[in-house]
Amino acid sequence: MNKKKNMILPNELGKNFSFIRMLIIYLAICGIGVIVLLVSFNGLIKRHDNKLTGDICSLVTEKMNSSISYMTSSVVNMAAGLSAHNYSDLQELYDILSANSNGKGSGYVSMGFIDEEDNIYASKTELEEFEKWNLLDIAKLANPVSISAPYRSGKTGQPVFTLFTNYNYGGKNGYLFLTYPLEEIQHMAYVESLTKDSEIWLMEASSDNIIQCAGSNRYFIGVWDNALISLRKPINDNNQKDYVAWKDKMNKGERTATVTYNIGRKTYTQVCSKIDFMYGWYVVVRIPSSSLSSAMQQFRLSVLIFLGILFIATIIMFIVSHRCEAREKKVLENLSIQDPLTSVLNRRAFDFTADQYLGYLGKTLKNEASLLFIDVDYFKHVNDRFGHDAGDKILKEFSAALQEIFGNDGYVSRYGGDEFVVLVQNGDKEVISGQLELLQQKAAAIKPSDDEECQDFVLTFSCGAAVFPTDASDLKSLQAGADSALYIVKENGRNGFGWYEQS
Amino acid sequence: MKRIVVVLTGILCLLSLFGCSKRMNEEQSILAAPDFKPLNSVEDGRKNVYLIVKNLDSSYWNVMIEGAKDGGDDFDCNVYYSGTYAESDWKGQERLLDDAVAAGADAIMLAPDDSVRLSEKIEETYKKEVPIILLDTIANTDSYDICYMTDNLIAGQQAAKEMISQLKKSGVADSESIQIGLQLGVASSQTISERLAGFFKYWSSNAPKAWEIIPDIKCNDGILDKAVDCAEELMEYPRLRGVFGTNNSSTSGFARVVKKHGRKDIVVVGFDYSEDIAKLIDSDYMAATILQKQYYMSYTGVETSLKLISGEHTDVKFVDMGVVVVNKDTINQKEVQEALQHN
Repeated sequence: MNKKKNMILPNELGKNFSFIRMLIIYLAICGIGVIVLLVSFNGLIKRHDNKLTGDICSLVTEKMNSSISYMTSSVVNMAAGLSAHNYSDLQELYDILSANSNGKGSGYVSMGFIDEEDNIYASKTELEEFEKWNLLDIAKLANPVSISAPYRSGKTGQPVFTLFTNYNYGGKNGYLFLTYPLEEIQHMAYVESLTKDSEIWLMEASSDNIIQCAGSNRYFIGVWDNALISLRKPINDNNQKDYVAWKDKMNKGERTATVTYNIGRKTYTQVCSKIDFMYGWYVVVRIPSSSLSSAMQQFRLSVLIFLGILFIATIIMFIVSHRCEAREKKVLENLSIQDPLTSVLNRRAFDFTADQYLGYLGKTLKNEASLLFIDVDYFKHVNDRFGHDAGDKILKEFSAALQEIFGNDGYVSRYGGDEFVVLVQNGDKEVISGQLELLQQKAAAIKPSDDEECQDFVLTFSCGAAVFPTDASDLKSLQAGADSALYIVKENGRNGFGWYEQS
Repeated sequence: MKRIVVVLTGILCLLSLFGCSKRMNEEQSILAAPDFKPLNSVEDGRKNVYLIVKNLDSSYWNVMIEGAKDGGDDFDCNVYYSGTYAESDWKGQERLLDDAVAAGADAIMLAPDDSVRLSEKIEETYKKEVPIILLDTIANTDSYDICYMTDNLIAGQQAAKEMISQLKKSGVADSESIQIGLQLGVASSQTISERLAGFFKYWSSNAPKAWEIIPDIKCNDGILDKAVDCAEELMEYPRLRGVFGTNNSSTSGFARVVKKHGRKDIVVVGFDYSEDIAKLIDSDYMAATILQKQYYMSYTGVETSLKLISGEHTDVKFVDMGVVVVNKDTINQKEVQEALQHN
């Protein structure tokens, strides 16, 4: 384990932390951004769906009402056409018409008349149906048209409804009626693009009875049912009030009403619209919002995938960029802090680092440190005698020895020429003295070159040391203390070391 | 990791085996539709009418079979019958239709298990110029000659009419605020839905405004025990004065609970003639039940079959056979007694 790792300088303390913190902040911002995006997107989808389903429901109801109006106009025109012929004998007219037309091609199942005295001109089966379904009462509502509720026709076996219109014959007022298969309305309700999703009913406001015209369940097309069971019961409890409010509008006879509710997690929009001439009846259209939002959901998914890719790419870029920056920084740092010959710290880097470190120690008050001023003895003679290359070799090997002995728990610096400074994270003079003795042994083994004539050369050094904070509490004073100790060692003949002693 | 994968795979295999065996059991639990059997003595030279019912294990359908037998005897034809053991076995009826044609049926009377899925086979059979008479249930096709059934919308109206009549007879004033509880057998059944719609139709037009239907309509899925529980829940409504059951289980459930609580102030109206409702009608409770005329559906069906075979045509495609309301006042009437004999 590299002991130097323990010597964390204050300016280094937050370097990794800063990166992680920045990463966390970035992730948090991205996360919040995605959440905000999703919430607003979902809200947008919901608003869009509700509006669109409402619009579609309204369009379908309008379409059905328009078709029914067209049908009623045809009946009114037919009555007007017959009135123009001024028939006075309705039985005769009925016999002629029923003999010549069976309704095929005209869309209707059967037709007949009601005279001023409420005599009905129709088949036996139809007469029974008049009785069973109180159709005479419906006929009397005609102004100029009225439409019966759907009922099962004896003639066809299928659900039908009957249109009544006022009819003048021979100066008297009666009614013409035509019975149509309910399929006619079902065809009107058919919306190809929404066949699977849309459900359409005719609904009687007073009884809550419904008869389905379109829907995914084929078994219920044309079958009577009740809205309390089929529409209201499955709705979530928290939407029951909304449904009741919607139904109240229908009960009050409002022309249209819209409600949005949930069945489980699925949202539905339901619109009712009054049917002209079918008194008390409404057409009700229901569409699940999800049927429209699938495209939007696909778009949302695409956006999320895109954001995810962007996010991952950004993180990768972030990390790669951070690593490159760290690498470049390290190169630059090395270039600016290293002595080019010995690769130990240069003076400027040492002063800065030592100052920071001592400041850090001063705050913590936990550790001591020692500053060593080391001069290679008679280095000028080495250069003069063996040449500059030999001098460089000696400096390199000496600084390597310094690095080896003090590098793990200290900073080694070449202060200039043959001067070295070492800051050791230790105030124990005994330990440091032992290290200096080791340095003396290593120094002695350093030779200017491998030549035989150099083997008698013995490298020595002089060292003065001061202890922080005992001898001084700042770098400048510490250096001064060590320098004075060095001076004394030099005065005493060099090749030795001594500690600063306060006079 | 490997162990986890092995354990999970094992669990999945067991589950799939369980699922398969459950499906197999479900399929196996439905007996296959048997071959046709003669209902009366088969005589050469007579026309052959084939009857296919929905459920051979049901008293309701046994009454229909009895009607066909009597029709065969009375109108002088051979009547054969078969059917499925569950209404979900519509494929069984498809096979029976083919079998009937292959056996040389002159006419077929069919109570279709599935009004939608069977339509194609009915059309195919009708194209072979075999008259088809539908009984009890109509199909989503025009390819049949006539259908004899109950118009359940009318039957539901009859029930509401009876409810209002008995409430008024018991002295409930129009201004009195009372509640009516409803219970269904199966919520998704067309028959039940139409009865309910009929009830609401008549009720909304004829019941006093102060007489309120409880919006919480119960559903018992055709299970009697559940019907009893549903009835008990409705008993907790403080102003409950009437209950309507749309089928046999609902009616029996109501009858049992009303009798258990001794609530002679509650009018019970239902469908079918179960022992429970019979006890109420026979005692001093206020009760009524609606009976269908399935006996006459098949009896008339045989008669019409022979007419169709002889080349006659019908003017109508649908005939409502009507219902009979059984209560204390009507129980001794001839029509009601006849209906009860055939129930």
